[in-house]
Amino acid sequence: MRFLRRPVDLRALADEELMELVDGGEVRAFEVIFDRHASAGYALAYRMCGRRALAEDIVQEAFLSLWRSGTNYDRARGSVRSWVLSAVHNRAVDALRRAGAKAGRDVSDEGIAERLRAPEATDVEVERREEARQIRGALDELPPDQRQVIELAYFGGLTHSQIADVLDLPPGTVKGRMRLGLTKMRSALGEAEKVAL
Amino acid sequence: MSPANGRTCGEDAAAYVLGALAPDEADAFRRHIAECDACREEVAAYEQITHALPAASPEQPVPRDLRRRVLKEVRATPKATATRRAPARVTAPRSWRPLAAWGGALAAVGVVVILAVALSSGGSSTRTIEASAGSAELRITGGHADLIVHRLPQLPAGRTYQMWVQRGNGRPLPTGTLFSVSAGGAAAVGVPGTLSGDSTVLVTQEPAGGTPAPTSAPVIVARVS
Repeated sequence: MRFLRRPVDLRALADEELMELVDGGEVRAFEVIFDRHASAGYALAYRMCGRRALAEDIVQEAFLSLWRSGTNYDRARGSVRSWVLSAVHNRAVDALRRAGAKAGRDVSDEGIAERLRAPEATDVEVERREEARQIRGALDELPPDQRQVIELAYFGGLTHSQIADVLDLPPGTVKGRMRLGLTKMRSALGEAEKVAL
Repeated sequence: MSPANGRTCGEDAAAYVLGALAPDEADAFRRHIAECDACREEVAAYEQITHALPAASPEQPVPRDLRRRVLKEVRATPKATATRRAPARVTAPRSWRPLAAWGGALAAVGVVVILAVALSSGGSSTRTIEASAGSAELRITGGHADLIVHRLPQLPAGRTYQMWVQRGNGRPLPTGTLFSVSAGGAAAVGVPGTLSGDSTVLVTQEPAGGTPAPTSAPVIVARVS
């Protein structure tokens, strides 16, 4: 663990360095992590749940888990951002599958919502916006029937059987569309990467 | 694609990475990819897409109150209480008995949860078991796990919950994770280290400060398979 003898601009540190400090109980480092990734986590949770109160609960739970787990987050499987988003996704799916448990909890808080701007307008932010543009583009380019099953599964938390029921399709067709859609997205994003290079 | 383990290879990979398999199907698929290179590679390829999918969500303003609430909770949860290390000394276990030998004791103390969670090299897994005295949930993402408990009894002063990890039939090793529960009986703690396929996570009630070996029967037994 590092000892901070003088003020350090924690915003200049990489996530992995910050997580070392978080593991040592450094709340300011955790704040920077939160400011960097809460927006993406909240956007995902809100898209999946469509309710502000529930989305807030999910994001809160995910970040508290990161605080409690410290560096035990899975470094080998990706970045802190991936860990946070995966934690948010898993919790949102759990919430969606607990049918009706949260009904009526939402309150409109449009008036108090405030965009928390990342304190640094860095190349990383620019890169993330470009990545977001590409992934949205790849999703939008899919045939509607393939995009629909991917969105119902990933953002809607539905199983392939549930999707088959909703769309009145054989389960095998649903799985086939998922596979085709992801394959096309992979191809499209691979092409986008080549163009970017 | 050739049939393997009763399924057509590749059939479930996309549904799996999208989280669209039912829990039993996902468990079966994890067992399958442990032995099938082709499906494992397909999962890895698709995961590049699913890891990027959150970026497709329209930006949303983060409520200012959310930040305030999270940081308030963080400040109220010092790391020392969440991941406090027990003394590193190792002593001969005085009261450890193989889990099977605890059978009667488990029943006597009203063990709250026994759950089994499949572990694989990829994906995530979550199991929740409800019981009359409480519930527990072990969330595994990759090799990392969080234990979330609900409705466990609050312990009297001088007592704490302590987490242990047992490998195979070895003796439970102290993780140093000591925790208390909220008024509602809830707590969420990370399981230190990386779990393997033969790990068991145990929770016992111990004297404050923890002990190097369990002195009571576990109230939670979470087996990873």
